[in-house]
Amino acid sequence: MGQHGFEIAYVFEYFYRLLPALKVTLLIVGSSIGIGTIVGLLVALPQLYRIPVLRRLSQLYVSFFRGTPILIQLFLFYYGVPEVLKLFYVDLTRTPALFFVILTYSLHSGAYIAEVIRGAVSAVDRGQVEAAYAVGMNGFQAFSRIVLPQALSISIPVYGNVVIGNLKDTSLAFTLGILDITGKAQSMGTLSQRFIEVYISLAALYFIISFALQKLFERLERRLLRHEPAAAGLTKEPLVKRSFLRREAASSKWRRKEAQL
Amino acid sequence: MIQLSQIKKSYGRQQVLHGIDLTVGKGDVVAILGPSGSGKTTLLRCINYLERPSEGDITIDGFTVHCKRLTKSDIHQLRLKSAMVFQQYNLFRHKTALENVMEGLVVVHKLPKEQARLRAVEMLEKVGLGDKLDAYPSQLSGGQQQRVGIARALALSPKVILLDEPTSSLDPELVGEVLSVIRKIAKEGITMIIVTHEMSFAQDVASHVVFMDNGTIVEQGKPREIFQSPKEERTKQFLKRFAPESAYSI
Repeated sequence: MGQHGFEIAYVFEYFYRLLPALKVTLLIVGSSIGIGTIVGLLVALPQLYRIPVLRRLSQLYVSFFRGTPILIQLFLFYYGVPEVLKLFYVDLTRTPALFFVILTYSLHSGAYIAEVIRGAVSAVDRGQVEAAYAVGMNGFQAFSRIVLPQALSISIPVYGNVVIGNLKDTSLAFTLGILDITGKAQSMGTLSQRFIEVYISLAALYFIISFALQKLFERLERRLLRHEPAAAGLTKEPLVKRSFLRREAASSKWRRKEAQL
Repeated sequence: MIQLSQIKKSYGRQQVLHGIDLTVGKGDVVAILGPSGSGKTTLLRCINYLERPSEGDITIDGFTVHCKRLTKSDIHQLRLKSAMVFQQYNLFRHKTALENVMEGLVVVHKLPKEQARLRAVEMLEKVGLGDKLDAYPSQLSGGQQQRVGIARALALSPKVILLDEPTSSLDPELVGEVLSVIRKIAKEGITMIIVTHEMSFAQDVASHVVFMDNGTIVEQGKPREIFQSPKEERTKQFLKRFAPESAYSI
């Protein structure tokens, strides 16, 4: 690679110099997860309520974004959207690349989040909705007061995976010239020819943020699932395998224990 | 008080209720018996519209719903007049026992929180769970969960409480505590319709027994009439399985 020998001191130096670019990365992650969550909810609803045509459309949306590489999606949006809008006399040539990056990552994570929401909502058992109707709640009250809070806590682990996946995916934004931490690392590497040191500090930076996010979501999950101690891992029992079904597993475990009494 | 007339229900081509007529008086405790698949749970769920009857009229406390033509607000009105206790308890799992009972009072009946709380505590004490107010369903036994379910239903002061096999998913040892709570509220003169497999309980608590088979009411009357001198062959055949234990030689 470079003509220099490896020097650990540079790893620390580059790590420090990468930090200012972190705000670009976090901006992309934060805004695309924020927008993606709203998009995901909108896309999941037609499937949850089985709305005839919209349901097909949202399935199409999800399969497109899950079925094509994010790099291709980035290029498609960056080069394609301005071309299409040109037909409608909208000029996007001066729009910063960052806009297209956030757009792509929002739509991309929206597709995954739609799947997360769909799975989590269907994991809340139907009986509780019936109970809500039986006490006189309407559909909206039953959804917002009974289903949604539980769906949220069930979805936290998978949602966390989407966020962490999104963070790592943003490393491709440099292909459009974005100076996020990867883009910054590229240019520092080219300038100094110390690629190994640069990439070690870049990897460390990604790892630290991922790890912090992972811990954050674990804490959040434990908090939100305090009503299901077995599922939230608050007991000393071995953790049930992470899945949407874990609370089912937990409740059946409870029933089994009850049966032994 | 409650009147069902010509309730019919079909799933696709299969008809599960063939025009049920049933009248329940105020303070009655009606037990609906019958083999599985006879439509008794479906009938009960039609009364608060968790199941949509295909035809028929439902009247509770002077309010009539015609199943052929009705609005969302009709369904809502109807549901406000009843409360339900489910076989699988169906407690809100993210809420404590107290919150489960308060939920309907606050959200549906718009009671101020403090008042709802007092009422909820009173109801939980009535079912013997005054010491479990802050427990989540996952921390309660099946019997305790079902008693919370009963308190949740009672708190709404419904005209009728519908109980759908309230003890069927309980361990034998826990059945007693739930039945004794139901017996206690029956004595208070609350109208109840219970779908049950507990024959001796039905005989003991019910004021009226309905025997269903194949989506129709085969026979109904006072518990003594049904259990001791059933008229219909099908009823006799069904009750034979629940003959007193002395009939078996072990």
